[in-house]
Amino acid sequence: MAVSREKQLSNGLYRFQRKVAPYGFILPGTAFYLMVTIVPMFMGLWMSLHRWNILRTRQTFIGLENYASVLTNPVFWEALKNTLIYTVGVVPVQIGLALIVALLLNAEIRGRTIFRLLYYLPVVTPLSIAAVIWQWIYHPQMGLLNAALSTFGVAPRNWLGDPKIAMFSVIIVAIWAGLGYKMVIFLAALQGIPESYYEAAMIDGANKLDLFRHITLPLLRPTTLYVFITSLISSFQVFGLVNVLTGGGPLDATNVLVMHIYRRAFSDYQFGEASAMSFVLFAIILVFTLVQWKVMGREVSYD
Amino acid sequence: MSSAVGARGPAWQRVLRKLVVYMLIIPGAILMAMPFVWLVLSSFKTLEEIVLFPPTFWPKSPTLNNFRQVFQMIPFGRYYMNSIYTAIVPTVVSVATAAMAGYGFAKYRFTGRNTIFWIILSTMMVPFPATIVPLFVMVSKMGLVNTRLGLIIVGLSSASGIFMMRQFVMTIPDELLDAARIDGASELRIFTQIVMPLCKPALATQTLFSFTGHWGAYIWPLIVVNSDRLRTLPLAIPYFSGQHYSYQNLISAASLMAILPVLVVFLFTQKYFVQGITLTGMKS
Repeated sequence: MAVSREKQLSNGLYRFQRKVAPYGFILPGTAFYLMVTIVPMFMGLWMSLHRWNILRTRQTFIGLENYASVLTNPVFWEALKNTLIYTVGVVPVQIGLALIVALLLNAEIRGRTIFRLLYYLPVVTPLSIAAVIWQWIYHPQMGLLNAALSTFGVAPRNWLGDPKIAMFSVIIVAIWAGLGYKMVIFLAALQGIPESYYEAAMIDGANKLDLFRHITLPLLRPTTLYVFITSLISSFQVFGLVNVLTGGGPLDATNVLVMHIYRRAFSDYQFGEASAMSFVLFAIILVFTLVQWKVMGREVSYD
Repeated sequence: MSSAVGARGPAWQRVLRKLVVYMLIIPGAILMAMPFVWLVLSSFKTLEEIVLFPPTFWPKSPTLNNFRQVFQMIPFGRYYMNSIYTAIVPTVVSVATAAMAGYGFAKYRFTGRNTIFWIILSTMMVPFPATIVPLFVMVSKMGLVNTRLGLIIVGLSSASGIFMMRQFVMTIPDELLDAARIDGASELRIFTQIVMPLCKPALATQTLFSFTGHWGAYIWPLIVVNSDRLRTLPLAIPYFSGQHYSYQNLISAASLMAILPVLVVFLFTQKYFVQGITLTGMKS
C-alpha cells in the first residue's frame, strides 16, 4: 500500500517535472534572444513611422514620411551604389580565390596544415584592428605597399586618401580578411565528395581534367551557391572595416549603407529615418535570404 | 580523403603537380601573412626608425620598449580588462543558455515548441545592423548606455548557438536519458550529468566561436560606449591610432598584444574551428 502511494507520488512529481522542465530549459536563451531581436524589430518598425526624438516621450506619427525621405535622399542612393561596388568587388574575387586555395590545399602536400592556418589567420583577427594594420601598410609615405611597389618602379599612391581608389583599397582588405573562412567551407565540401566517385570515373577512363570538370565542380555547386549568397548578405552589412579604414571618406567615396544608417542615427539623431533605412536594408537582405532558401531547397546529397 | 587522387599517375607527373601547387600556394600564403609579419616587425622598431622614408623592413635595433611604453601612454591595461570582460561574460552566458535551450528543443515535446523554435530560426536572418538603432534606444531607456551591463547585454544569447546545440543534442539517444529517469534522476540532473558531458565537442566549438566573435566586437560597443573608461581593444586601438598616428611602433605593439589572445586560442584549437564552421555553415 505504502509502496504504491510512493510510486504514485513520484510518478505525479515526475510528470509535473517533465512538463515544466522544457520551459525552464528554453527560457533564459529564448528570452534574451527575443529581447534583443524581436522587441527591437517591432520597435524599429514603430520608430520608422514616427518623427522620433529621443528626448521627447510622445512621438508624432508621420506615416511613411521617413521612408520617403530615405528614398529621396541622394546620399542614400550614393551609399547603396558604394555598397554594390564593394559587393561586386569582394564577393566573386573572394569566392574564386577561396575555391582555388581550397583545391590546392586539398592536395597531399607537406605543410598543408600550416598553409591552411596562414590563410585562416585574418579571419580570427578583430576587423577594426586589422584595419589599423592596413592603414599603416597603405600609408602614402611610410607604408609597406608603396615601398614595395617602388622597387618595381610603380609611382606611390594615396591608397585610402584618393577618392578614386579608396574603395578599391577597402575591397583588397575585405578580400584578405574573409578569404580563409570561405576556404574552410570549400575544403569541407571537397572532403565530403566520396572517393569512390573518382575511382569509378577513373576505371571508365576519365583523366584528371574530366574528374575536375564532371565530378568536383558539379558537386561543389550547392556549396558555392551557399557561400555566394551568405557573402552577399554579409557584404551588405559591412561597417567596422570601412569605419576604421576611411570613415566613409574621402568625399563619401566609401560611404556604405550601414555607415549611412549609423551617421543618420548617431551623428544627426534622425532615429526615425535611420530606422526606416534599417528596414530598407533588411528588405534587401530578406530578398537574398529567400533566394537562398529557394535554391538550397534543391540541395544535392551524395550518399 | 579525396586528396588521394593526387597520388595517382606517373611519378614525374606527381612531382610536377606538387611543384605547381607550391608555386601557387606559397606566394599566396606570404601575401596573406604579410600584414602580420609587418605588424610584428614594426612593433620592434624604435620611433626614429618607424618614421623613416622609405621604410626599413627588418628592425635595425630591435627593442621591446614599445610593449612597455604602450601601458604608460594609454590606459592599455584597463582596455585589456574591458575586452576580457566583454568577451568572457557573454561567451559563458550565451554558451550556457544555448546548451540549455538546445537540449530543451531537442529532447522534449511541449506546447509551443515548434512555434518558438521557428520564430528563433526565422529571426536569425535579421541582420544585426538593421536592429541597432531601436536596440540603442531601448538600452538607453533602460539607462544602460555607458555601463558595463549595456556593453554585454546584446551578447547574452545566440540563436545560431541554440540551433547548433539542438542539432548536436538530437544525436544523443533517448534511451540513455530514459535509463537515467528510471534510476530516478531529475531532469536537471540528466542535463548536467549526462547530456552536457556528451556535448563537450559542441560546447568547445561554440565557446571558441563566441569568444573570438566577442573579442573583436566593434559596432555595438562603438554605439553603446562613449567614455574612455569602458573602451574595449577593438575601439581603443583605432582611437589610439587616430590620436597618435605617428607612433606607429607603439600602435603596432598594442595591436599585436590585442590580437594575441585570439591567435593563440586559434592555433591551439583550430580543429574545433573547422568543425564549427562546417557544423553551423552547412547544415542551416
